[in-house]
Amino acid sequence: MNRWRVASYAIVVVFLLVVLVPIAAVVVNSLKVPSDIFTPSLKLVFTPTLDNYAKVLGDLEFSSFLVNSTLVALGSTALSLAVGVPAAYALARLPIRGRELWAGGILFTRMVPAVALVVPMYVIFQRASLLGTYFALIAAHTTFNLPIVIWMMRSFFEELPPDLEEAALVDGSGRFGAFWRVALPLTAPGLAATAVLCLLFSWNEFLFALVLSGRDTQTVPIGVASFIGTVSVDWGGSSAAAVLALIPVFVLGLAAQRFLVRGLTFGAVKG
Amino acid sequence: MLTPSLVVLAILIILPLAYSLVLSLFSWKLTEINLPKPFVGLDNYTRLLHDPVVGRALVNTVIYVVGAIGVELVLGFVVAAALFEMTRGRKLANALILLPMIIAPVVTALLWRYLLDPQFGLVSQFSGAVGLPSGIGWFGSSGLALPALIVVDVWQWTPFVVLIMHAGMLAINEEQFEAARVDGAGHLRILRSIVIPAIVPQILLILLFRTMDTYRIFDTVFVLTKGGPGLSTETIGLYTYRTGFSYFDMGYAMALSVFILVTVLVISGIYIRLLRRREAL
Repeated sequence: MNRWRVASYAIVVVFLLVVLVPIAAVVVNSLKVPSDIFTPSLKLVFTPTLDNYAKVLGDLEFSSFLVNSTLVALGSTALSLAVGVPAAYALARLPIRGRELWAGGILFTRMVPAVALVVPMYVIFQRASLLGTYFALIAAHTTFNLPIVIWMMRSFFEELPPDLEEAALVDGSGRFGAFWRVALPLTAPGLAATAVLCLLFSWNEFLFALVLSGRDTQTVPIGVASFIGTVSVDWGGSSAAAVLALIPVFVLGLAAQRFLVRGLTFGAVKG
Repeated sequence: MLTPSLVVLAILIILPLAYSLVLSLFSWKLTEINLPKPFVGLDNYTRLLHDPVVGRALVNTVIYVVGAIGVELVLGFVVAAALFEMTRGRKLANALILLPMIIAPVVTALLWRYLLDPQFGLVSQFSGAVGLPSGIGWFGSSGLALPALIVVDVWQWTPFVVLIMHAGMLAINEEQFEAARVDGAGHLRILRSIVIPAIVPQILLILLFRTMDTYRIFDTVFVLTKGGPGLSTETIGLYTYRTGFSYFDMGYAMALSVFILVTVLVISGIYIRLLRRREAL
């Protein structure tokens, strides 16, 4: 092994430590009683406890946050896929006039910052008496998930060899048949990855949830944030809440690992 | 097949944006629901141009954007090049590296709130143990709060830079390296003359996405500092939120929203033009 290779391994290992230690620290905190957390020097040997988890899931309404987050993420993902996947196919395959212009326009919508949308949305939903409903949150999360679905699925459809669909067209299945029976099954892994990314983005979203949710529709990030602002900070409880928020994210994120970068860059980096 | 998407996007995005454009021309407080809303023309925009908080927020935002992206690019390149050099364990390293960027920003904020706690934080305990100055209240100090927020961004988003640059490096033709080695080029020379020029499109992509996202930074600032101490971490997104939902000054908040939108679009437009020229998007 030459010195470059040794140095490279050292750099990657140090970087991985920097990445992982903060995550490990919160997991450790979530298993500690307060007297083990609030010590002047780090306490590595302690008796682990699940009290914090019991408390978070029991008293603190956190389980309703988990349910709300799940409903909103599923709703927004379903809506984005139902509307966005056919659009992606159309942009990949159909002879649409000004196709690149439409695609560019859809890309533009991803660039609209949430903070620019949330103020008018608040007023519109307030007038329509929809503030605090699941519908409001699902609609808001669709603003970032739908463009992602269109661009990501378009990149998957474009990678398919067109011959198979042409065979279906010759059979008289029509364009929709070619899409539904041929192209869609072939892009199943891409479709799954796209769905996973939508769930992930919705699960993590904070600003729309902060402004548009009501007492009964608050999501997990709102629950986590409420721990940080308070004067007496419950480190054990909030760490347990953070870990509960992290578990589904890590499971989903690692499942979609191969396509994560593609999703985050709108299909520009195939990774 | 395209129409449903266009209708949904028009209702969910274009309509609210048009609405904010119109309402930004009125003076309008959310607390005075039944009072008339006088038309004030461009008053909200002239107020914006003379608002010292907007100026301060913009300066902070630019420091944050440039600081965070600068560190992420350099650090990301070093790690990506190191990863590229590895022959084993690359897959595992890739899987672990991506973890920070899928964590909710609010959860990231919570991690760092505890790591940087002056009394019981891991950073303080560690620096105390090795004899470095400890007990620093990062988020409570007007000089350190903004750098601390940059540290949080660097932790969360350097992995994104690493993975994109690494993907770019993997796409380089192996023959190029061999030819360079035959010519006797050393490691640094190869990095400078082959790797960096080859990943310029990836660097532009990183700049586009990171600039868009750091410019509108909200979650971590809101949770960690609320823009303080004083105005030391006020950002343009946070100020818009506060104007609308703490001061209920909706007309002005709409004008600020429009301002953020227009500036983001101008910046992104420049990057996209550069990317199109290199056929990277």
